[in-house]
Amino acid sequence: MPQTKLSIRIDGELVQAFAGETILTVARRAGRFIPTLCHFEGLRDVGACRLCIVEVSGSGRLLPACTTPAQDGMAVTTVSPRLAAYRRMTLELLLAERNHLCAVCVSNSNCELQALATAMGVTSVRFRYRYPKLPVDLSHPRFVLDHNRCILCSRCIRVCADVEGAHVWDMMSRGVGARVISDMNRPWGEAPGCTGCGKCVQACPTGALAEKGLAVEEMTKRGERALQGAIRQGGRL
Amino acid sequence: MNSLTSSLPTNKGPRPDSRERDFVDETITRRSGRPGALLGILEDVQEHAEGKYLCLDTLAYIAQRTGTPLSQIFSVVTFYSLFSLTPQGEHIISICRGTACHTRGSRDLLEKLRLELGMAEGDGQADKLTITSADGKFTIRTVACFGQCAMAPVVEVDHRICGHMNERVLTREVEALHQEKAR
Ligand code: SF4
Ligand code: SF4
Ligand code: FES
Ligand code: FES
Repeated sequence: MPQTKLSIRIDGELVQAFAGETILTVARRAGRFIPTLCHFEGLRDVGACRLCIVEVSGSGRLLPACTTPAQDGMAVTTVSPRLAAYRRMTLELLLAERNHLCAVCVSNSNCELQALATAMGVTSVRFRYRYPKLPVDLSHPRFVLDHNRCILCSRCIRVCADVEGAHVWDMMSRGVGARVISDMNRPWGEAPGCTGCGKCVQACPTGALAEKGLAVEEMTKRGERALQGAIRQGGRL
Repeated sequence: MNSLTSSLPTNKGPRPDSRERDFVDETITRRSGRPGALLGILEDVQEHAEGKYLCLDTLAYIAQRTGTPLSQIFSVVTFYSLFSLTPQGEHIISICRGTACHTRGSRDLLEKLRLELGMAEGDGQADKLTITSADGKFTIRTVACFGQCAMAPVVEVDHRICGHMNERVLTREVEALHQEKAR
């Protein structure tokens, strides 16, 4: 079936899109940099982190670029003071929600959350840190899950369910009680479905999922390297 | 939800027993094939179970029979406040603590009910509370909004929505439930 062509404006520039594509896909193809955390190339999007918000003319609300389909004649703004303010606030809230002491994290200087915070100039957080004392799951023979670093982006859940087909992970509860769980909130190492493929570890944007036996700064992931490159170029991801 | 994450309910005795398993199988057959079937299955099984709750073994059984990943079923059960992972009282009274009901005095209703049934403060944060009386007859829960704000304050008594509630009527409802038991 031939794809229906659409044209939309991104920051004033006329670009071509195809029906069914999201604003994010189109914007990235056009070389725009929109910060994202829950989006991961190849996974279905859920719009969980709200960092990718953009302005769409005619809509008073800010819309997530990763889940909003492009529509013919749409005019999208990806950079504005208003967007910057909201994105910054979102990032600060993510940082305040758990414990992101980068200095003692395996993913220090290889973390998407940290990279975006740096790129967006988030040097301080205006909210009080919650610092809940959450457990660290060391039960898996090769990997660790540190809930304190988790931003609930659900990339691990989606990659395990949709790509590996194991569906070890899911999200329990909601609001402030939400937590990534394996099976029925059991230790990861006891999950019979886990093949040990490590996809969830690679997909995780922070130090929440990591390989065992690594020291500070030693955990590097492919997704993060791509992001760093994009930030440097200020463009294409 | 805090108490739940730290201490998962463990099961005394084998659950589900064969009778419960039959009920689960029958419920799955009756409900499956429809969108959102899992919610209906879980609701029916909880309502039918002794103590009106879903124990982990029952959940594992449902997961196995419906081909649902364990993590997903746990996600669903902990997302909807309708489901309980710990035993509940015979009668469940849910008091709305949403904004509309709050402004129309739902806090007083909650206090009144709590005192009337001789219940302690209970656990959970102010916005989400579940207390069961020592004799296992009553569970009081708070909910965020029934979507019936025009009838605020709203109280649900054993799945029956009662609008424009006041302390007098609430006392009568509780008495009726006591009586029902006595018969
Ligand atoms: S290692 Fe692979 S199978 Fe195991 S939880 Fe991670 S993604 Fe799923
Ligand atoms: S463990 Fe990592 S990938 Fe999974 S939800 Fe948390 S931050 Fe995202
Ligand atoms: S990337 Fe769009 S909401 Fe997270
Ligand atoms: S606030 Fe009580 S029903 Fe909406």
